[in-house]
Amino acid sequence: MTSRSAGEPLVRLSGVNKWFGELHVLQDIDLSIDRGEVVVVIGPSGSGKSTLCRTINRLEPIQQGEIAIDGERLPEEGKQLARLRADVGMVFQSFNLFAHKTVLENVTLGPVKVRRQSKGEAERRARELLDRVGVGAQAEKVPAQLSGGQQQRVAIARALAMDPKVMLFDEPTSALDPEMINEVLDVMTTLARDGMTMVVVTHEMGFARRAANRVVFMDAGRIVESADPETFFTRPASDRAKDFLSKILTH
Amino acid sequence: MRTRRTTLAATVAIASLALAACGGDEADETAAGPPVAEAPEFEPGTTMAELAEAGTITVGTKFDQPGFGLENLEGEVEGFDVEVAKIIAAELGIAPEDIDFVETPSAVREEVIEGGEVDMVVATYTINDERRERVSFAGPYYVAGQQIMVRSDNTTITGPESFMENPDATVCTVTGSTPSENIRPYLASEQEQLVLFDEYSQCVDALSNGTVDAVTTDNVILLGYVAESDGAFKLVGEQFTEEPYGIGIERGDVAFCEFINETLAENEEAYVEAWESTAGQVEGAETPELPEPAPCS
Amino acid sequence: MDAVTENLDDYVSGFLTSLSIILWSLVGSLVLGMLIAACRVSPVPPLQRFGAFWVTTFRNTPLSVVLFFCAFGLPELGVIRSFFFFGVLGLVLYTSAFVCEAVRSGINSVSAGQAEAARSIGLNFTQSLRFVVLPQALRTVVPPLGSVIIAMFKNSAVVGAFGVGGDLWSTGLTLTSARGYETLPVFIGVALGFLLITLPAGALLHVIERKVAIAR
Repeated sequence: MTSRSAGEPLVRLSGVNKWFGELHVLQDIDLSIDRGEVVVVIGPSGSGKSTLCRTINRLEPIQQGEIAIDGERLPEEGKQLARLRADVGMVFQSFNLFAHKTVLENVTLGPVKVRRQSKGEAERRARELLDRVGVGAQAEKVPAQLSGGQQQRVAIARALAMDPKVMLFDEPTSALDPEMINEVLDVMTTLARDGMTMVVVTHEMGFARRAANRVVFMDAGRIVESADPETFFTRPASDRAKDFLSKILTH
Repeated sequence: MRTRRTTLAATVAIASLALAACGGDEADETAAGPPVAEAPEFEPGTTMAELAEAGTITVGTKFDQPGFGLENLEGEVEGFDVEVAKIIAAELGIAPEDIDFVETPSAVREEVIEGGEVDMVVATYTINDERRERVSFAGPYYVAGQQIMVRSDNTTITGPESFMENPDATVCTVTGSTPSENIRPYLASEQEQLVLFDEYSQCVDALSNGTVDAVTTDNVILLGYVAESDGAFKLVGEQFTEEPYGIGIERGDVAFCEFINETLAENEEAYVEAWESTAGQVEGAETPELPEPAPCS
Repeated sequence: MDAVTENLDDYVSGFLTSLSIILWSLVGSLVLGMLIAACRVSPVPPLQRFGAFWVTTFRNTPLSVVLFFCAFGLPELGVIRSFFFFGVLGLVLYTSAFVCEAVRSGINSVSAGQAEAARSIGLNFTQSLRFVVLPQALRTVVPPLGSVIIAMFKNSAVVGAFGVGGDLWSTGLTLTSARGYETLPVFIGVALGFLLITLPAGALLHVIERKVAIAR
């Protein structure tokens, strides 16, 4: 289903290094993501996979290296950065819906304030997206009135409303009760099928097998392995990946 | 009751005025003053008899009024009001060192008389009808007049009338003072034109840095500032009020009132000396004649 | 209470002067305080340092000293304005430091994820403050901000000592000193004047607090 245009990758990280004080959390990261590609990042906790995800829209600044989106180098703080972020959707582990706004307002805020859409147009599109992720009936409620699964689906709609070039998912199901995980994964799987470029940090191996074009395995701040799901899950190359897979697939 | 805030500037100004007033001839000053009466006789039961018997008197005065009542660096008060109090005390047989001066800011003068905390108040205390409802006044012993002081280069303000014609012009005086009341009718807008501070020294600062255009109060006080200013300030217009300074005593004490009036009348020489050694030292201050006393009631 | 009834005109004009000092200062210190708070939480280090410097300076200087510098310092630098202006300016500078800290504590109470979500949809720093962080911060800010505002109302009495003729406080002094009324009833009148401002303001704050609590 995925149609890839040749040439420049959509997201390119080259020689990225980041430290938290003494701690070298990202070490010489090189990663290219093509248009329409779905990349799942897995690894033990503390491996730097969330940090990697967050550097792509510069929620975490980096100390060395370069990150480019659609050929454009990620700028420092300022107007340029805000413009670039608008093209990069982000879904957080803890949803981070705007607590003081209704579901509908959560989804229209960006289009109205950043994309300068009219309120009516933004609302029409927002309802469409909310229907698509299955929470259209909740449009007038505030986030606190929704279940975790519903909130995360609203968060996905909020990101989609900006018509992003790429979507980042930072452990989107880790804060959810088990019975709600699938409703979110289903939405993500549909998105992947529809050709959205996605970077997904997750522990959901089922999703990785089902929807990923490529699995990136990280450990101790480095990319250890990068392969298609079939290869990775059946014939992992590195000992660390084997060790990791044996731990999560046996229980 | 409020405590006075004294800025550094005020302290410096007061100190320098005090030094100027001393004139360096302290020996003369102590030698001067009326002779203390020895064992004077008074009708029993009168205030005079009680005070003479006690051999001490408590007098309320200002501690921050250059020329009239100002505390010097040794903690003694000096000024015309203080000297007048000494003349009266002397007639009661009380020596200057037996007079107990207490500070009475404008706001509490009636209170301390009514409460019996002082025997009399000599504190640039203007006689008026509102105050007469609460205290009695002996005197007047001096008639001050309010005037206007401006920067020397000012030609638009020529007297109190100028404030109506120049609604932008501002005038400064002290909060809650009689001058602040007297200037009000001359102003086009109280809100825009009247600036009030705690101390005259602050008004003078504001005049010299240009935030106000004029300062108004009794001319003797202004003369002091003009003399100090090296030609930066000048007085304009005539004195436009008469401020008869009286001696505040307990309401209805006619005998004491008459005694004070007689004492002043009989001690003209001491009175003139008192003036010339204090407020009269300022350049341009004329020596007053003792005013005709108001009837005691 | 003759002192009050006989001089009602003076009380009313004193009340109005105090009220206008308070209203100007309220608007000024809220706007300025929020700007300084924005500096303190901004991602730009020089602005952060400026904000911290501002707060340290004005929060740790007595109000009367700030007013003194406005009333007597600025004219030395050639700034000639009315004492009403200087007085309001001093009160605004002083109060803004406290408003800033109240607002900043409110901003810190909003989880970092809210600001991250705001930035991730492309809102710039100002927009994410204005549309996402501040509206939520204000909820936790109302009680401490209320205290700051009420304190500012009362501090306005100090402005009267710096050249502003005819506010409530100096009206009280005029009545006692120049007109010879008894101190106690006059200043009870002054206190009533201030209560007439602070009590409704306090009640209003209480209503806002409750509304905000419900909306949460």
